Amino acid sequence: MTTEQATYRYFKVFIPAILVYAFGSVGLTVTAENVAVPPIALYALSLVPILAMMCVFWAHWRFAGEIDEYLRLIQIKATLVGVACLLVVASGWGTLELLADAPNLQVFWLLPIFWVSHSAATAFISKKEGVF
Amino acid sequence: MKNALKTLRAERGWSQAVLGEYVDVSRQTINAIEAERYDPSLPLAFKISRVFQLRIEEIFDDDSVVVRSELHDERSATPSLIRSAVSN
Repeated sequence: MTTEQATYRYFKVFIPAILVYAFGSVGLTVTAENVAVPPIALYALSLVPILAMMCVFWAHWRFAGEIDEYLRLIQIKATLVGVACLLVVASGWGTLELLADAPNLQVFWLLPIFWVSHSAATAFISKKEGVF
Repeated sequence: MKNALKTLRAERGWSQAVLGEYVDVSRQTINAIEAERYDPSLPLAFKISRVFQLRIEEIFDDDSVVVRSELHDERSATPSLIRSAVSN
């Protein structure tokens, strides 16, 4: 399989899944704030963005397996940067909340932090390596 | 790792994309190997050697291997080490 085919297959899952995640999360928040929904229904509804995000990770896993070894290395490096940023923010902010009364950071934001840092790292590493 | 990929490819008039197609990797990967930014895996090195019909060591030149063989000039040491490992 060529890189182009792998990329196409990835975005074919990624784009709809990320849209479902975004709209699902916003919809869930709006519903929870404005409509009297029983907690069990909220739990059930929250499965929509959760499943969408699982689809994104599955697509990424498949993408990493379908691209060649050098591009896979870039993806792995970017994932490490993403995980590092995520853990630094999570544990760093957690410490600040615990010891310095910092404002509460919703764990909801951890996923966007991961994807933003992962995407930035992919772009930076690819540029540095002369991929594009 | 130093390699003769660019020269060999130019001799045959192949673009990076064409060579990439022959060995089932992207143009970017061939570019990274040629620029010595990336060392290919053993399976990829074998594929490249088959495409050029050359041995791997005729395409890739690992300086560290040369240094090691110079350090261990007594080549008979290796078989004796293997023999002792097998007997143990």
